[in-house]
Amino acid sequence: MHLKRGMGIADARAMHPGIEIVEAEPDADKALLNGLADWCDRYTPLVALDGVDGLFLDISGCAHLFGGEQAMLNEIAKRLLGQGFCVRLGAASTPGGAWAAARFSNAAILTPKSEAAFLAPLPLSALRLAPELRERLEGVGLRRVGTLLQAPRAPLARRFGKGLLLRLDQALGAVEEAISPRLPVAPLSVERFLPEPLVRMEDVEHLLGLLANTLKGDLERRGEGARRLELRLFRVDGLVSRIAVGAARPLRDPHLILKLFRERLAVLGDQVDAGYGFDLVRLSAALVAPFDDRQADLVDSTGDEGEGIAHFADRVRARYGAETIVRPVLVESHIPEHAVTAVAVEDRVEAVPIQDERGANSERPIRLLQHPELLQVSAEVPEGPPIHFRWRSALHKVARSEGPERIAPEWWRDRADAETRDYFRIEDTEGRRFWLFRRGFYGTAARPPAWFMHGLFP
Amino acid sequence: MATSAVAKDIVFALRQQIAKIEGALPERLAAPDDAEDSAVIVRRHGVAARRLLQIGVEELDAALGGGLEAGALTELHGRETRDAAASAGFALCLVSLWLKAVTAAPFILWIGTEEIFREAGFPYGRGILGLFGISPENLLFAAAPKPSDALWIAEEAAVLSDFAAVIVELRGSPRALDLTATRRLHRRAQKAGRPVFLLRQGAAAEPTAAPVRFVLSASAAGLRETLDGPLPLSIGPPGFAVEISKSRTAAPGRFVLEWNADERIFEDRRRGRFAPPDRGAVVSLSGGGQGVEEALGAVVAFGQSGARAAHHQPSREQHPAHLRPRRAS
Repeated sequence: MHLKRGMGIADARAMHPGIEIVEAEPDADKALLNGLADWCDRYTPLVALDGVDGLFLDISGCAHLFGGEQAMLNEIAKRLLGQGFCVRLGAASTPGGAWAAARFSNAAILTPKSEAAFLAPLPLSALRLAPELRERLEGVGLRRVGTLLQAPRAPLARRFGKGLLLRLDQALGAVEEAISPRLPVAPLSVERFLPEPLVRMEDVEHLLGLLANTLKGDLERRGEGARRLELRLFRVDGLVSRIAVGAARPLRDPHLILKLFRERLAVLGDQVDAGYGFDLVRLSAALVAPFDDRQADLVDSTGDEGEGIAHFADRVRARYGAETIVRPVLVESHIPEHAVTAVAVEDRVEAVPIQDERGANSERPIRLLQHPELLQVSAEVPEGPPIHFRWRSALHKVARSEGPERIAPEWWRDRADAETRDYFRIEDTEGRRFWLFRRGFYGTAARPPAWFMHGLFP
Repeated sequence: MATSAVAKDIVFALRQQIAKIEGALPERLAAPDDAEDSAVIVRRHGVAARRLLQIGVEELDAALGGGLEAGALTELHGRETRDAAASAGFALCLVSLWLKAVTAAPFILWIGTEEIFREAGFPYGRGILGLFGISPENLLFAAAPKPSDALWIAEEAAVLSDFAAVIVELRGSPRALDLTATRRLHRRAQKAGRPVFLLRQGAAAEPTAAPVRFVLSASAAGLRETLDGPLPLSIGPPGFAVEISKSRTAAPGRFVLEWNADERIFEDRRRGRFAPPDRGAVVSLSGGGQGVEEALGAVVAFGQSGARAAHHQPSREQHPAHLRPRRAS
């Protein structure tokens, strides 16, 4: 048809008036390729993207599960064709060889050491070379891979750089090349192929229980428990759902695992659509940690009081995300908002020795606003406490006040232009007590002082 | 008169039955007069033992029938969002009292919606430690996206034996918080025998399953105690105006309580402050000061008229707020 890449629409129309124009959508293409890569996870956990139109699958040790390399290629081709993709496949013992086999033959399987013979008659574009390098090579008459293979190496390297020889060696297997998988490989996975797809989520949960039981045996053998678990549901039509849950403590118990996934599935609801059913379900322990077995005594179960809370926190987090449930920890800092931080429930942080709790630090509000809120304030004297202030558009008259308590910025941590705060405890005429502060001084700083509401006292 | 006697009998029997259903002693319905009522444990259907949390203020305890039921849902209302500190403070006072009464599991879970934590401020560990003595290690906060999510977390937490108390804080009157939801929470609290406090900021009084509802508002703080009596214009122990808006045993009433952060007890504002017992050994003040003994039992709550002028105290500017009066011991 004589159409080329980079051709103008007008030229193309002039040649073929009936042509249909579709705008390119690189993002959608990328998403599609990612989805396809997800789907290819069913064959091997090592799937890597190659450019904008290719996928590498490392099938070492996986091919026999699908009846050998030829049967595997046939199945992939058949399934992708069924999904409406036009694919070219190739298999070889090196990524470079497979790349060439997929692009320059149809479904060729290169046995080890046969790469050179296969590549020799092919053009240089079979070597994954940069276009400029290829043009330079072609400029001196090197048009086939075979001629390159016969040429002496040293002059080639001198004239065209090391990259050329590297590509050549990678294609032939002289240099090991690893593909970089998209997703980290889970240490442990159990999966089940289903001849009859599962449509009901209850069945999926039941199967998940069976898989968790199998996983438990594997974890026990390794003396480990899972800290993060991932469930992958491969839908018949190619869509893959990944559902992950975390655990505060290493987990083995199938019931607890099932409980966590139930929470996650309950919150996901319709987002996990079974459609025509799932034909592969895989449960993997994405992160494992040593599992210390505890001896239960006769009186008490295990004597570990934090365990119930840890499991409870896991379930809450499985539903609403990791930041939902936190524990406050006191930190050594003068700045009130930095003096307490939140950590995950299971984190055991060394407690900061609290200065005399009845001393200066005791006069702290019980609620602290996440961001101090700007106030409109009238004060009798510039440096003194306010006589009335407007907060959230309501006027509060000050009955009593205590202060100021001056808190200077932490120069070792704050920015250079951070300003000193003078905190006041205020009681308004209705008996509410507030903690507010004035930022900066009158007459000295570049910007005028401002008043802020920072906390509430009971 | 035979008919009226029979009627009385029927009424009495019915009342007994109702009390049995509600799990309250019929005697208490009539007259809460028992002096040694302090450790009342009521067996209900022979299983659940009810335990009372004593607030420590006689009239309030008496009005509630010996104390607040511990294994129950208790509603604490704040009229407006800026009263959030008063109602949260009162809940923490009750938690602090409860922690003194129980031995195991000191963990407290405070669940709120992201909205209320944003509007009324996130609970601040340092202040809670200072005022109520609840260590931050034992506090857990859960911020739920929606009221229904907060209620789900609360229901799950209410059955756990690892928590000594659960606080649920919501703003306004969300639809998820209906009679069914509160009944579920109440039942679980009853079963676990631990309190669940439902803090509602800016909410109207709606029918819920909670047996007791308090409406909280801030009340002027007491004055700081010094060796020579209260310090004028200082902001001392926090005051709470507690209104019983719903209770099976009590008529609606209003109480003004003061939280003593040192002893971690409530004091009734109307009765004046009880003097700490170890005041006796204090040496009398020099100069124009007067003996300490006269200051005992002074009424401090009703404005400055009751407070003695402290002419020998340093002026307010010279007396920084963080210098607390020293207590002799």
